[in-house]
Amino acid sequence: MSNKSYKSGKANGWVMLGLSVLLAATMAVCSLFGAVDFTWDEIQDSQIFWQLRLPRVIMGALVGAVLSVCGAAYQSIFRNPLTDPYVLGVSSGASLGAAVAILLGLEAFLWGVGGMALAAALLTVLLIYKIASIGNRMHTTTLLLTGVCLTLLISAVISFLMVLNQEKMDSIIFWTMGSFGSSSWTDVWMLLPVAAVGMGVVLWYSRDLNLLLAGSEAAQSMGCEVEKVKRVLLVATTLMVAFAVSSCGVIGFVGLIVPHAVRLVAGPDNRRVVPYAMLCGAIFVLLCDTLARTVLRPSELPVGSLTSMVGAPLFIYLLYKNKKSY
Amino acid sequence: MITLDHITVDFGKRRILDNIGATIADGRITAVMGPNGCGKTTLLRCIGGLLEPTAGQVLIDGRRVQDFAARALAQKVAFVRQQVHTDFEFSAFENVLMGRNPYQKRLQNESQADWDIVEQCMRQTGTWHLRLAKPHEMSGGELQRVMIARALAQQTPVLLMDEPVSNLDIAHQLEIMRLLRETGKSVVIVIHDLNLALQFCDDLLLFHEGRLLYNGSMAGGLTPENIGMVYGVKSHMAEGRIIFDY
Repeated sequence: MSNKSYKSGKANGWVMLGLSVLLAATMAVCSLFGAVDFTWDEIQDSQIFWQLRLPRVIMGALVGAVLSVCGAAYQSIFRNPLTDPYVLGVSSGASLGAAVAILLGLEAFLWGVGGMALAAALLTVLLIYKIASIGNRMHTTTLLLTGVCLTLLISAVISFLMVLNQEKMDSIIFWTMGSFGSSSWTDVWMLLPVAAVGMGVVLWYSRDLNLLLAGSEAAQSMGCEVEKVKRVLLVATTLMVAFAVSSCGVIGFVGLIVPHAVRLVAGPDNRRVVPYAMLCGAIFVLLCDTLARTVLRPSELPVGSLTSMVGAPLFIYLLYKNKKSY
Repeated sequence: MITLDHITVDFGKRRILDNIGATIADGRITAVMGPNGCGKTTLLRCIGGLLEPTAGQVLIDGRRVQDFAARALAQKVAFVRQQVHTDFEFSAFENVLMGRNPYQKRLQNESQADWDIVEQCMRQTGTWHLRLAKPHEMSGGELQRVMIARALAQQTPVLLMDEPVSNLDIAHQLEIMRLLRETGKSVVIVIHDLNLALQFCDDLLLFHEGRLLYNGSMAGGLTPENIGMVYGVKSHMAEGRIIFDY
């Protein structure tokens, strides 16, 4: 047995470099395909490429990274491999906030939609935390059912709002389906700082995420400031989810699929799972979005429906696999 | 030295610990004994800073437990708990390595010293051969020994142990108890086996319905009278051992 094989630790520099190169290459190639295809020579003086395609590709990568990192963090905070912001209804909460902001005409303000999305998402997280924690342990069933019920409730409220405001229906539907169709540089500049800070926070606390998996009290005995760490991480991840959702709508299951795939290969240590999931998630959503805008050309699929078609069966499989251990 | 300064703990209307006052001397093994539900685990959680008493305070070397920063306390006190959570598949080695957390800076990788300490602690608890095993591949007793190794890796002067040997076979029970004696740590241990306690522990805190019934040397406290009062079981001493009458 090699001496290294049992040694966990930080992310491997070479893996990170390889994934980064892969991400850059994926971005470069994917940006050529869409409703209009480009060749390298046509790029330079194409408005469509610089004003529509490029920000869209960057948003895809950013949102993929953000959702995957949040999924990995949620799974440790709630000590449950079946959670992510989508499954728990936090993404839906953010979309409700965004919908309300549009109805109130807050789009005119720079942080109007993002701010409302954040407020609603935080409220959803708080609710879940309160409802699903029994003692200091979250039971899988309670947690997932709470998430499902909240998602159903929120989608009912959104439908209600849509019927009352039919003239704005199109822009609200967009939030519930998830699409990068209207991504612009403004979206990139809104999400980029939030994503950078948020993912930085999660990386900073990645060893604490490992400790949280051992249980709150065990983590505390090993020197982790459990309550503070949980609070900081929940706010940071919810902030990222809210801003991702307010710019491109609800894209489901990314936070579930990507960290799981990474763990299968790299093991459970969050010091590796979080950075690897960040890069793999960017690549995954980028590929999904490229498929979404090319398979039915010239019309488009919502990218959220594609990720859900991959993610929902995986989720059911994981439920089935976990059945034995709960 | 650990000072229990008149600790009272209430859970809702139920009084779990009632005005407990005692000191726990350095470098000795102190057994915490009493029937199920008499507040033994609650006492350990108070000492470990996981639970703030309703009244009174716990002092470690004269300082309130609640005044320690989390990392500083984790360098002083390690806790082997009864239940182990194993939803995620960290290997035994990774689990023990978590015990090094109080000494590590953020974003820093483990040092060679950390690897060596982990290996040493796993060899001491007889778990080195299990280092690659995932929790579900281990038996209850093996997992328990991994958790003991994790607490040892914290290199604390104080070790709190909540029934650490209940899951172990007799050979491993003796091995762990002997190890505890050799480490020279202050060990506060919840233990149910009266004869094992008599053989390996120095001092005794004997609880009865949330009250401290006896606080003193092991041999002086574990008498047939006290056993009868606390557990309602008849016994007598023969050749330095407790024999139960039934």
